[in-house]
Amino acid sequence: MRTLKKIGRRGFLRKFLLGAVTTIVTVLKPFSGSLYIAQARFNFWRSSEYVGKTREGRYKTFYIQYYKPFRRIERMGWRLKVRGLCEKPQEFSLEALKALPRIKQTSRIKCVECWSAKAEWEGFSLLDLEKAVQPRPEVLGVIFRCADTYVEYLSLKEMHHERTLLVHTMNQEPLSDEHGFPMRVIIPFKYGYKSPKAILEIEFVDRPKRGTWTQIGPYSTDGTILPGYDHPLDQGKKRRRIFGGEIRD
Amino acid sequence: MDMKITFSSLVMILVWFFPFRAASPERMIQIPGGPFLMGEMDKPTSSSQTVTVDEIWIDKFEVSNAEFTALFPEHTYPEGSGRHPVSLVTWEEARRYCEQIDKRLPTESEWEKAARGTDGRPYPWGNKKLRRKAHPSISGMIKRIVGFNKRDVSVYGVRDMAASVWEWTMGRSQGKRVARGGVWNHHLDYEYSRVYEFIEVAPEKAYIFLGFRCVR
Repeated sequence: MRTLKKIGRRGFLRKFLLGAVTTIVTVLKPFSGSLYIAQARFNFWRSSEYVGKTREGRYKTFYIQYYKPFRRIERMGWRLKVRGLCEKPQEFSLEALKALPRIKQTSRIKCVECWSAKAEWEGFSLLDLEKAVQPRPEVLGVIFRCADTYVEYLSLKEMHHERTLLVHTMNQEPLSDEHGFPMRVIIPFKYGYKSPKAILEIEFVDRPKRGTWTQIGPYSTDGTILPGYDHPLDQGKKRRRIFGGEIRD
Repeated sequence: MDMKITFSSLVMILVWFFPFRAASPERMIQIPGGPFLMGEMDKPTSSSQTVTVDEIWIDKFEVSNAEFTALFPEHTYPEGSGRHPVSLVTWEEARRYCEQIDKRLPTESEWEKAARGTDGRPYPWGNKKLRRKAHPSISGMIKRIVGFNKRDVSVYGVRDMAASVWEWTMGRSQGKRVARGGVWNHHLDYEYSRVYEFIEVAPEKAYIFLGFRCVR
């Protein structure tokens, strides 16, 4: 009886611990690694649906590329965190960002994998965000951290270029999750991997940082579109020559 | 003692001077005047023609960051890349640089003859693509020192004319300036340009893939 009682306690403890571990692993498995860290820091994920790479359906004419799948972002819970070397680090709601002076432009995203696609984008310049957060004089650029754990660096000079935008609207509609809701960069003279999507955080820094693709893939840190060829999805992928920089048509 | 110092100094000067001169990118190469085959020749729709140019001297290497910055100190470049080809310069800046050292930008025909000689070859080194790529598995603009690729040599000994960076010329087309050459590290694309390939660039633009060399 004494033995049975002793085994019962141990068994209970073992089952309890096993159950607890199983529960924790089951709950946290989708958020393993840095995505889990993002989950802990940014508590605005929506449902269990995931966004990721696709070329199906409506995306046949505008391919979607993400580094990793991630859970859809809840609009009301999302805040853009702006921090780093600035006098007034703060968070912005989507409504606050949409209230900044709006700029519209039609431009093409050129992927390093040869295809390109065009859209009308609407957003704002980083310069207008800087008026609120006041970056310090030593700042050289910004690091973007995204929902798919993608990281990209762009210099202030590149971000201040007249064709570079932080956009929240695409073809008169709010950005879809696939195209980078709630906010993405559009920098049309660089390959698409320099236009991060689903941005969670902007950090002002005083030294360049290598982005995700340039660390794990065969991509240069600069990312300027080189002279070569383009296969525009909206023109039946018909091969055409390009002379480098932004593709204007 | 005075003699030893003088002798030692002389040896040091000679040791310093000759290797420096031998490796100096200041060197120019003579391109003889006369006719050559210009244009696209290796396709059924060839558009080649015989063109005659005068004798010129052309820079063996593209102008480097250090060379350009010596005359234009406001131009900056990443630390350690002084011997990389200069880029991010407009057509006017390139023209002014050449002018300040009593040189000028090449015409398209001068550039092309220096790259291919007289026999109509599509690549500076001959008729076939190089099997070995300069930068395997690299996409986008990654520069190396001028003359880095030992195989990219024209029949006259001019370096980096199929790759490295595109180069401004005097050529004009549709309100733009014509650049020749190429870059060697495209993604999913050819690695070396053919000598007749060109791009048209607005003269006020400055790109990381675009530099120049001078002629006299």
